[in-house]
Order: sequence, then C-alpha cells, then structure tokens
Amino acid sequence: MAEHDKSNGPKRWVGQRVPRKEEGRLLRGQGKFIDDIKLREMLYLAFVRSPYAHARIMNVNTAAAEALPGVAAVLTGREVESLTSPFIEIGPDQCQKIADYPMAGSKARFQGEPVAAVVAESPRLAEDAAELVQVDYEPLPAVTDAEQAEKNESILHESAGTNVVWRGVFEYGEVEKAFREAANVVEIDRLHFHRFSSTPLEPNVIIAQWDNKDGRLYYWCNNSFPSFAIQFLAPHLGIHIDQIRVQTFDIGGSFGIKITNYTQMSVCALASRKCGGRPIKWVETRTEHMLSSAHGNERTFLNTRVALDKNGVITAIDSRHIDDCGAYPRYEPLGCVIWSQVFPGVYRFRNAKIDFTQVVTNKCPVGPNRGYSRMQHLWFLERICDICAHELKIPADEMRLRNYIRPEEMPYTTPNGCVYDSGNYPKMLELAKKLIGWEEWKRKQAEARRDGRLIGIGIGTTLDSGTNNFGQSQIVNPYAPFSGNSQGANVKLDIYGEIVVAVGSCPQGQGHETTAAQIVADVLNVTPDLITVRTGFDTERNVHTGFSGTYASQFAVSGLSAVHGAAQKLKKEMQRLAAFSLNAKEDELEFGIGAQGPEVRVRGTERSMPYGGLANIVNVNSAVLPEELHEVTLNCRYIWRAPFKVPDKVKKYGNLTLTYASQLHIAVVEVDRDTCVPRILDYVAVDDCGTVINPPIVEGQVYGATAHGIGAALMEGCFYDEVGNMLTSTFSDYTPITAVNMPNVKFGDIQTPSPHSFNGAKGMGEGGAAPIHTLSAALQDALFDQGIIIDDSFNNGDRVFHLMQQAGKSKKPARVKPRAVPA
Amino acid sequence: MAIKFGGEFEIKRTPEEVYDFLTDPEKFGPLLPDFKGMSVQDPTHFTVKVNVGVSYIKGMAEVKMILAEANRPGRAKYTGQGSVPGGGANIVAGFDLAGANGGTKVTWAGEAQVFGKLASIAGGLLEPLGKKNVQKLIDALQAALTGTGAVAAAPAQAPPPDGDATKLAG
Repeated sequence: MAEHDKSNGPKRWVGQRVPRKEEGRLLRGQGKFIDDIKLREMLYLAFVRSPYAHARIMNVNTAAAEALPGVAAVLTGREVESLTSPFIEIGPDQCQKIADYPMAGSKARFQGEPVAAVVAESPRLAEDAAELVQVDYEPLPAVTDAEQAEKNESILHESAGTNVVWRGVFEYGEVEKAFREAANVVEIDRLHFHRFSSTPLEPNVIIAQWDNKDGRLYYWCNNSFPSFAIQFLAPHLGIHIDQIRVQTFDIGGSFGIKITNYTQMSVCALASRKCGGRPIKWVETRTEHMLSSAHGNERTFLNTRVALDKNGVITAIDSRHIDDCGAYPRYEPLGCVIWSQVFPGVYRFRNAKIDFTQVVTNKCPVGPNRGYSRMQHLWFLERICDICAHELKIPADEMRLRNYIRPEEMPYTTPNGCVYDSGNYPKMLELAKKLIGWEEWKRKQAEARRDGRLIGIGIGTTLDSGTNNFGQSQIVNPYAPFSGNSQGANVKLDIYGEIVVAVGSCPQGQGHETTAAQIVADVLNVTPDLITVRTGFDTERNVHTGFSGTYASQFAVSGLSAVHGAAQKLKKEMQRLAAFSLNAKEDELEFGIGAQGPEVRVRGTERSMPYGGLANIVNVNSAVLPEELHEVTLNCRYIWRAPFKVPDKVKKYGNLTLTYASQLHIAVVEVDRDTCVPRILDYVAVDDCGTVINPPIVEGQVYGATAHGIGAALMEGCFYDEVGNMLTSTFSDYTPITAVNMPNVKFGDIQTPSPHSFNGAKGMGEGGAAPIHTLSAALQDALFDQGIIIDDSFNNGDRVFHLMQQAGKSKKPARVKPRAVPA
Repeated sequence: MAIKFGGEFEIKRTPEEVYDFLTDPEKFGPLLPDFKGMSVQDPTHFTVKVNVGVSYIKGMAEVKMILAEANRPGRAKYTGQGSVPGGGANIVAGFDLAGANGGTKVTWAGEAQVFGKLASIAGGLLEPLGKKNVQKLIDALQAALTGTGAVAAAPAQAPPPDGDATKLAG
C-alpha cells in the first residue's frame, strides 16, 4: 500500500499527476475482458453474412449446418423476425416505417449484414457450420453514394418509401441580407468528409444467457452505452427491462463504435433461449468488425456560399449537407442534430442556413464514432476558413484571429442557442505557434519553396462538446421521449470502513477509477489509494440512469458530478454520525488520516472516530443508533442532472451541450513531389478542457485522439466499390495508424474553467478530430499554389497524386466573387 | 467489383459446329478452369463445380449456369451465378459467331461481378487472376474445337506475363 499523507491539512488531489489506478492490471495483462470469461456449457456463435450489398434473400437452407455434429442450433433472419419486434426507431415519419431487425430476413442491405447465425460447441465448429448454410440471393442494384441515394432510384427500405431518413433546415440570423452586404462571396461546389471508423484492439464480444431457471437475460459484454442498449433490447425482445442484467468489465477501446452492438446482443440472447438457456459467446473477427460493426458518418457539403466583409470576417454561410448513415439509421437521426452543438464552430458569424439531409445507403450502418457528427461539421467550417483565407490572400492565423469568438464574449450564446461555457482560442493559437516555432517554420517554408519543395503549414481549431442535452432528439423527432442528461453514482463506507465508489460508466481506458478516486479523496480528505472504485456497468448496482455509459466526452462533468454529489452526501451522513458518537457539534469535526487510517476527529482534541467505527455502528451495531439517525446509511446514491431545458423544436434553438472543450493543432507537412505521399514534419496539439483533473490522463487522450485523427486524415478509410463491396475490410487494406506512423507530438494546454461544472472541468477525449482539419489545412497550404483545393478529408498519397494530376485540368472547386463594397 | 473481358479468335470450323459445341453443356462445362464436376438440369441449365482460390483463400464454387441466349448459329450467351462461402460472382459471357476465311470468327465478351469476401479481401488480385482464367477457357475452347488439344489460332490477348498471375493461382 502506498504511504499515506498524514498531514492534517487538506490536500487537493484534483489536478495532481496521480498514477492511474487501472494501470497495474491493464499493463500487466491482468485486465478482465469479456473473452476472458468462460462459462460452463458455453456455446459459440458465428454469423452467416450477406456477400451482397443489396439483395433479396430467396431461400436459406440450414440443413447441412444443422446436421454437422456439435452444432446446437441455427437461427435465420426470418426466424428472428418472427420472434421479435423491430428495434425502436429514433427518427420521425418515414423512419418509423423502417423495420430494423438484428439479422436480415427477406432482404440484405449491406455487405456483411448477418442473415443467419450458427451455434456450436466450439468457435471453429460454428465457423465451419456457418459455411454450410446455403443462401440464395437475388442481387438488387446497390446505392453506395449519398447523392445517388437521395434520388430514390433504388430504395433500401420499401416500407419507408424513400432513402431519405430526415431533412431539416437550420436557419438563423439574416442570411440573404448578409450576402447582399458582403464584400466578397466565396463559392465552394463540393466538400466531402470521408467514411472511416475506429479500430479498437478488442472487437465486439458478447456473452448472453437467457436463463430458464429465473427467466432473466444475463449479458456480459463490452457495449459502451448499456443503459441505451437495454432500452432498445427490452421492447424488441418483448421482456421487462428489469429482466435484463448487463455487466461490462474492462473494455479494450470503443470510441463510440460499441454503442451499436445491441443488435448482436439480441441474436446471442435468442440463440441462448433456443439452446435451452446455455450461455452463448460471440467474438467478432477483425474483418467482421470492419464490415459490419459501425462506421463514422460520411458527409457531403454542396453548393456552399460564404459571405465575408472587406476584412475577411465571415458574415454568413449557406450550404446543403447530405449525411450518409449506411443501411439502417439506428443511433442515427441523432447525428442530424448533434452537429449543431457546434453550429458556428469557433467563429463569430451569426447568419447561417444549413439544409441538412440524411440518407440510407447500402453500406455498413454508422455509429457514434469519436467526434460523432460534430467533427464533420467542424472540418467543413475549417475548410471554409482556409479556402476563404487562401482565396482572399489572408494568412491562415490572421484569418482565424479575425473570426474567432473572443474570450471576453464567453459564455457565448451561438446563433442556435448553445452556450459555449468558456474558452480562449486566440491564446491557444498563440501557444501553439510558440510551441511549433511558427516564424521559423514560415522562414523554412519560403526557403523550401524556392527549392521546389511542397511544404504547408496548417491550423485546425476545433471543439469537443460534452454532456449532451438529449432534448435535441426532439428537434429531429418531436415525439422523442428524451431530454436532459443525468448520471448516477454511489459512495459508501463498507462494513469495515472501506470507501467504495460505484459508477455507471464503462471506461475503455479513460481512467475513471483514478479520477473518481481523486474527487472522493478531496471530499473526504483522504488519499486516492484508500478508495475503491467499481467501474464497469452493472444494472444490479443501481447507479445507472437512462443515460449511463461512456460516450460523448462527458464523464468529467456528468460522471464525476454524480460521484461528487454522492461523496458529499456520504460526508454529511458521516458528520452527523460522528457528531453523535464523539459528542461534538458537526462544525467542530474535521476529516483526515490518523494513526489508524482515515478518521473523523474533533478539531484540536484527541477525540476521533475511524471510518471503520462509523461503519460498524450503522451496519452491525445499529442498536446503539438513536432514532433520529436511523436514516443514516453511509451508502449514498446520488443522481446528478444537467441543468438543461427542452430546446425549441420549431426554431431548432436551445442549449444542446453543457461544456465545450477546445483543441488547436498546427501541422507542418511536406508532400513528396515524386510519390505524392504527405509527411508530417512537425506537429503541435494544444488542449483546453477547463480544469484538468489528472494531467497524464488528459495528455494520453489528446495523444490518442491525435493518432486517431492523423490516421483518418492520411491513412484510414472505409471504401466501397460501385456494387457495395467493402474494399478495406482488413487491416492490410484499411491501414490503421500505428506508433511508427506517428510524429512526435508537442503538447500544450491552457485551462479556462467551465462555469457549468462543479470543479471547472469539461468533458474531453474525442478531440474534435483536430488532426483532420489541421492536415487538410496544411496540405491546402502546400498545394494551393498548384491550383489545388483540398475538398476531401482523406488525403493519402494516392489521392494527392490524383489531385496533382488533375490540377488545372478541371473546374476549380472554389472561387471568390468580389462584390461592390456597400457604401 | 466488375472484371470485364473480351477478345476474338478464328477457328477452322463452321459457325454451326462452333455454336453446337458452345451450347452443349456437357462439352462447354468441362472447359471451365479448375473444373471438378457438373450436373445438367436441362439443355439450358447446368451447374458446375470449380475450384477457386486467391492466395490462401481457397474453396469450391458452385456455379449455376443458364444459356440465356441461343440464336443458332450467330450468338450464344451464358449467365451464371457462382457462390463460395461468404462470396460469389455473377457472370455474363456472350459469343458472337460469324463466318470468316472458311471458318468462324468468334468474338467473345463478358463481365464478372464479384461480391463478398473475395472482392473485399482479394480485390486487387482478382482482375489479373480473372483474366488469366478467362484466357485459359478460351485456349481450352480453341483446343477442343480443333480437336488437337493444341491452340489453333493465336490468342487475341497476350497471355499473362510470367510472374504475378501465375503465382496468384497458387
């Protein structure tokens, strides 16, 4: 055990570089992951998947598979349809007509969609038997392009009658007036944010047991938003939500992608029931993960117009956006509004009109991939900023300084009613420029250009909005039953006085055990090592709300607010109990660590009560308790609720998020003239997530998000051919970023505490996809003189080669139209 | 993923003889590369089993063939649907026959649309392999028509260069 700090004075643990409590077991390979769990009589499940992106399923012949010794059962899509109800649809109108089942019954809508599942005594046997299932398909025309899908020439969901999931216009200010009064209008024909995903080390893994002894459904899984999953599963399976117990343990990464594995959770449950309640394990392969887990949204930005005044200040934006959510909307339509949490990005323009459409295509359904929905929009805004800057010959840093929301304007209400809690973007820029050596690189760049080298310097400023107001779902569907946000936690003194914290989150490396312990240590004036934190979701702990899980950059605010509230509640109870036991007044007491460990003592005396003594009275010696203390349990549950209101659904106006962490990255990139491969020469990441609870954890997440973003910008993409074959379903083709591809990232931070959280912290970890914006900007800077506009978020060597080949041969995708400056 | 192929050759047989050969499943089926067996349902429907493999991905494909167009002696067209675990291919192959130089000029064109694992995992390798196999089929067809076992006419397309394609067949 670590040496305790026995000083009497309170010590703040928040902000300290406390070593991660999780590290010991995770780095020694002693974490508890789902695939480590082996249950008696466990069976293994393998899916039969559609090779076609779009095809009618004419017949499924399972006889050969069922005849194989060791096969326990085969489930088909049609059978699943007969046993369940379709999953709830979040979207309105036509979305409600979509019948979404976990396996395809009569029609497959993306390559890799499950059409049958085989359960056998071993994983290998299940895979062999799956190959014996014969499926007759009638191929249908596949739609793999969002703009094409919008034309409804080939419809995925006939019951909906359209491929359009949702359409809405977000309009604020006086857009046309701003364009009439603009000094310059920049037009950009088309920008495209590509489809990519996350590649967690641990793929989806589920164990399900539909226990016929008690009729309950038990899950051991790595779903990262289980409270949402059970809300989908219970009505789908036709059972009471309390019948479902979900437990998660260590999770080897999710990045939001594992939120949507509830579809496979359903199949595993049905398979268990069919096999008489035997537990079923399914472990996803890497190719399955790439083909059919979930991808991030792909978005196309069309016919964009940007109005600017004579100083290059953006005054209005008008654009049409089409979002591709893959074959089933699932967690989507929420993506149709979540981007508007960061409607103006970090910029001050007040007039804007975004016509937003979401469509289904014959591709893997999307999920809330890190930076979900907002990063696409933020990339769009950063592209606008850089394209306008280049067209108007304004330096990129100067362009931003002219357009940033200013620190003195914080808290800043955006045109659509979101409240940016705090931030100082000019200061971040100043720090990032200092860290990278801006002036020196500018000099080197000019020198290199004289030698014919293509070097670019790019800035990306972005936001990581955290703690959603789920009321924004009502902007998409006025009848959606969600609003606000809440999280639960429990802090107790156990029978021998141990401090035990339980939270409803599912950490995947974010260090929740450590940061929760820091918060409680500060409340009770003990050391974090004296605190046990039970993380991992468990419905039976009763600390979850309908929003519990780990997603959307919120634990530091929502999760820790709940922990803080529960710890305060416990402290109050301990004070009452100690005052009685020590015959003192509550305000005479202080918390600290004595010779016997943590204790409550009467200030300035030798009288004290160890935590174990207090716990003893309540738990096993309760006859000594006076009646007025009977409600003291030393087992305190607290539900924290975010102070949100339901947004105005018609005006699409309201505060959609509680905190806004910000990131500013600068990259220096060189494009090799021969190979066209971009190479990062220097990189800086500056972060502001308000009050930092644990600096190494924040830095680690910044590095992780930076790697993810660099990979997405230069290496990783989910690409399909014209008939819907996914061409990047292996790591050989997807080429995820690894340590050898990473530049040395220089890290810096500023802290602008949030007024919206109890300790000034803001949610962080998603990183706002800053590297994608930054590298697009740097490449733009490197290649603009060649007549190239970076109009896609994916730019590997091959794409840059094609851009350079096409330069000057086709219409430039962006142009500036000067207007008569109004008097 | 679409693989397109086509070409032409001349053969010292009448168009009727060539047509009759091409449209006889018992004669045409065994010419398919890596043929393992077949069953004939009726004169226009038959199923062949062939070995397929790209690198370490190997398996047996069942290809359901239909003689979709039969205009004696000018044109024959086959459509086919092949399936392997996790994947498959839809095939269209047409043969136009015309009298030329006392024999027949055969103009052939087709497309294979490949789906599933094969396309996803081995996409980059499929085109050279597919073209090699089509050439094998045409070579075998010419050899069978001349009855010599040797190719009577030079192939319209150059055979694949030594190296990659041959190795891919593994």
